[in-house]
Parts: sequence; C-alpha cells; structure tokens
Amino acid sequence: MRLNSKVLAVLVTTIMFGGIFLTSALGLWQTESTKEAAVYTTGEFAGQANPADIRGSYTFGDVEKNFNISSAVLVEAFGVETDDAPAFQVKSLEEIYADSPQEIGTASVRLFVAFYLGVPFDLSSDIYIPEAGANLLKERSLNAEQLAYLEAHTVVMSSTPPAENIVPTEPAAAAETAPENTPTAEVTHEESTAEIVKGKTTFADLLAWGLTDMTIESIIGTKMPAAPGMTVKDFCTQNSLDFETIKPALQIEIDKLK
Amino acid sequence: MINLFGKRIRIFRPRSIWIRKIVQWGFFILIALIAVNHTLAESGASIPFLATASLHAVCPFGGVVSIYQFLTVGTFVQKIHDSSFILMIIGFLMAILFGPVFCGWICPLGTIQEFVSGFGRKIFRKRFNHFVPVKLDNILRYLRYFVLAWVLYMTAVTGTLIFSEYDPYFALFNFWSSEISLTGLAILGVTLLLSLFVERPWCKYACPYGAVLGVSNLFRVFTIRRNGNTCKADGACSIMCPMNIPVDSLTIVQDHQCISCLECTSEAICPVAKTVEFTTRGAK
Repeated sequence: MRLNSKVLAVLVTTIMFGGIFLTSALGLWQTESTKEAAVYTTGEFAGQANPADIRGSYTFGDVEKNFNISSAVLVEAFGVETDDAPAFQVKSLEEIYADSPQEIGTASVRLFVAFYLGVPFDLSSDIYIPEAGANLLKERSLNAEQLAYLEAHTVVMSSTPPAENIVPTEPAAAAETAPENTPTAEVTHEESTAEIVKGKTTFADLLAWGLTDMTIESIIGTKMPAAPGMTVKDFCTQNSLDFETIKPALQIEIDKLK
Repeated sequence: MINLFGKRIRIFRPRSIWIRKIVQWGFFILIALIAVNHTLAESGASIPFLATASLHAVCPFGGVVSIYQFLTVGTFVQKIHDSSFILMIIGFLMAILFGPVFCGWICPLGTIQEFVSGFGRKIFRKRFNHFVPVKLDNILRYLRYFVLAWVLYMTAVTGTLIFSEYDPYFALFNFWSSEISLTGLAILGVTLLLSLFVERPWCKYACPYGAVLGVSNLFRVFTIRRNGNTCKADGACSIMCPMNIPVDSLTIVQDHQCISCLECTSEAICPVAKTVEFTTRGAK
C-alpha cells in the first residue's frame, strides 16, 4: 500500500482532529483544571468547599460559584479596578500588588474567603490582605484569634490599587518600606515568604529547604512518595491526610532550620 | 549540474509537497490564534468559537514529560492537563503509522524554521544546509537524546515544567506574555538565526520530542522506500532531504531523523515515477 501527500495530509488532519473530537465527545478532553474546590472531609464543615483549595487560576467568578461570595465583594476587598469582575483571575492580584512589601495574592483570597465564611483556616503562616478587605471582614463575626491575626496582617494603602504607597501595619514591615531601605525590604520579604509550605510545595522543595526524609516521614506518618516532585497537598489528598494539619507541622520543622 | 559525493549530477527543478505547506501553516495559525486567545481570555475577552487553552495544554510533549509522574503518582506535572496526554497518544499513533509526521506536517516550530530556511537557501544556494562538517553533524544528531534524558529527569525530580524555560516553541507563542523566559527567547532567536544556514537546526540537534518520535522510524508501518531498479542515482532525493539523509544510498529509510515530509519522493523531487515512495512493506 502506498500513500501520496494528499492522502497523508487528510489522514494526519483527520487523526489529529478526529482524536480530539472523539475524546471531547467522551468527556476526556480537558485543557484546564476543574474549577471545583476540594471540600472539607471531616468535622462540622464536612462537604463544604475548602477555601484552602482556591488556586491562582480561579477567577472571582469561580470563587463566587464555589463559595457563594459575590465577585463585587471580592473586587471591593482587593481594590481591583475591572469591568468584568467574574473574569478576574485570582493570580493577577500578585501583579497588581507587585510592589507591595508583603505578598498579596492567591493566599490572601483564601484567607479572606475563610474569614468571610467563618470556616476553619490554618493561620500558622503569614498571609496579608489589603485594608479594604480587612474592614469588610471586621463587619463579620470573627473570633478574637482571627481579629488579632487580621490586625497584624493588614496592608494599609493610601491609594488603590497601584501599590507604590502600600504600607503594612506592622512596625517592622513599615520600616522595610522606607524609600532608602527599599532593596532591604525586598530581600526581607523574599526571606519571609521563600520557605513557606503552601499548596504548591513539593517534597523536593522540603528536601531542598533542609528537611530530612526521616523528619518528613515522621510528620506525614508514612513513606514519602517515589516522585519528590509531587506536592505535599496532593499527597495528603491521596492518602486521606489533612493538609491543614501537616502543613504547620512541616513549617515548624523548617523554621527550626533557620 | 553540481558535484555531489564525487559525482556530477543533474538538478531538476524541485516540485514541492505543496499540501504539506498548507497543513503546516494551518496548524501554525491555529496554535497562534489559540495562544493569543488564551491571553485575551485572561483579560476577560476572547475570540468566539476558538479554544482558550494554554499552550501547555495543546503540546503533546507535555504528556511525554508527565509520564513518570502519572505512572508513579497518578497526577500530571503542573500546568499539564488531560489534553496533553491525549495529544501525546495521538502523536504516538501517527508515529507508529507514518513516522514523525508531527514534526514534518504539524509542529509550528518546524514550520517557522522552514520559513526562515527559505531565505537561507536563496542566500547561500548550494552551500545551504551543508555548513556543518559531516563527522561533527553525525555526532551532534544524537545530542537531542541527551536533551530528552535531561528534560525527563529534571521534570521527574522537580515536578515542574522545567523545559518551558528553555523551549523555543513556548517562546514563539508566548513572547508577549509574562510567562516567557529570556532563555527561551534567546534559544528561539538562535534557532531562527541558525535556520538561515541549516534546515531545521532545532529539530536536528536539540528537540527532545523529535528524539522521541524519531525512534518510530525504525518500525513505522509506512516508510520511505527507494526502488533500486528504477533509480537513476542522480542524488536528487538526498539533496532535497531537509534532514540530510542520504536517501539515494538507502533502500528503506529508517534514519531516526526522517520527518516523513515526502520531499524526497517521486511525487516531489525524484524524476522517476514510482521510485521513491511512501509505502508499506511489500507494496507493489
């Protein structure tokens, strides 16, 4: 059997697009992550969407769909200027607040959503939110611990949202923003966020930060995965472990190494 | 008449596999539009009826680098989705049947290299695609397998798309986005510059996906076959081959660099009908 170029052209395009069409029809063709947040598996909030699973690729619309918080509220909380709030991607906050001495991004949205809904959230790491968001949260029923955390992790800005004039409320962080100290502030900020266990942290990251296999395995209570590129979060999900419990335990060990 | 391999041979006016160019540019435009649409979608606007997928989602090599993590952990490498895996399977299926047709007919990076090479061919004429000494060239051709091994190892260890930092294909369709790395852009620039001297330099020496697909040339169902009985040994097929394969000295082309472009066949450059063809074994 011989093929000429015209037949080969038809076969190549047919196989390529036919394969895509077929897998689409079978529901296998996915070009992006599903935008359904994981749910709490235990406790009072079991079955409810967990804000800790909000990803950078989520839009405010996805957050609204998962957590029933209006995009307008999120826009107000994070001082975003947009004509299409539901289409605004959470990860874009990092660009808007690029000059902020403290990172405002996906984690900030997770914190805001958790406090707004009054659901459990791990407060062992430093996550910052803008003043407008903090003010909105103070109108909700927060407990003393949450209020104290909010007081210490609010970023005050004199204009919205270009971040040139952002000043953190913490005295130490405020010092970092003094013009003459700008380079120092950036370094300090880098140090404060570089080795923090997050949803994207992999076992390879933990090893690179100095934790030993033994320490990690003693915390997760089982053998590490064969592929160190796996995220701790995915590992916890697959092994029915609570990431929100594992995460602070790992962070404590990492902090001990500093 | 030119001298080749010590023989004086007649050069025929090359006929091109024109439909390949149409298919190539069709895919190039499609991928470019999808890449632009992805950027537009992030800002809230997008072209209707066109996919807004990321470039990673429509790259079959993303599936290849995810194999290890998929088998050991059951998940994809970050930014890789089911679509990459499906495209990888489609690519493998086509390679088993026809060899690396993905490289020769679909890959937009191959298309842009061929486009730039068109200028190089006009500038350097007969010297074009013959600058690299044969001995060195033969060694460099295996470099892409080292690139492949490094990419697979680093992706397995880090769990991230390490290659996207260096990938000229990613740079080609993302040079306007914040995701682009300077290294990737530099490699793209060097690749396009070298394309003025060498046909498909990235494919020949560095492409890890080409390395994977190239293996299929050893066992593909349809392959390039030369009929020694009717062959005039004019060397035209070898001159035309973008990958510098000496087709005129082979009966069956099993070279790992063949991209199944059909430019060497009787349908294109070979002046004798039914002498160099793309056939199955035993075809009459």
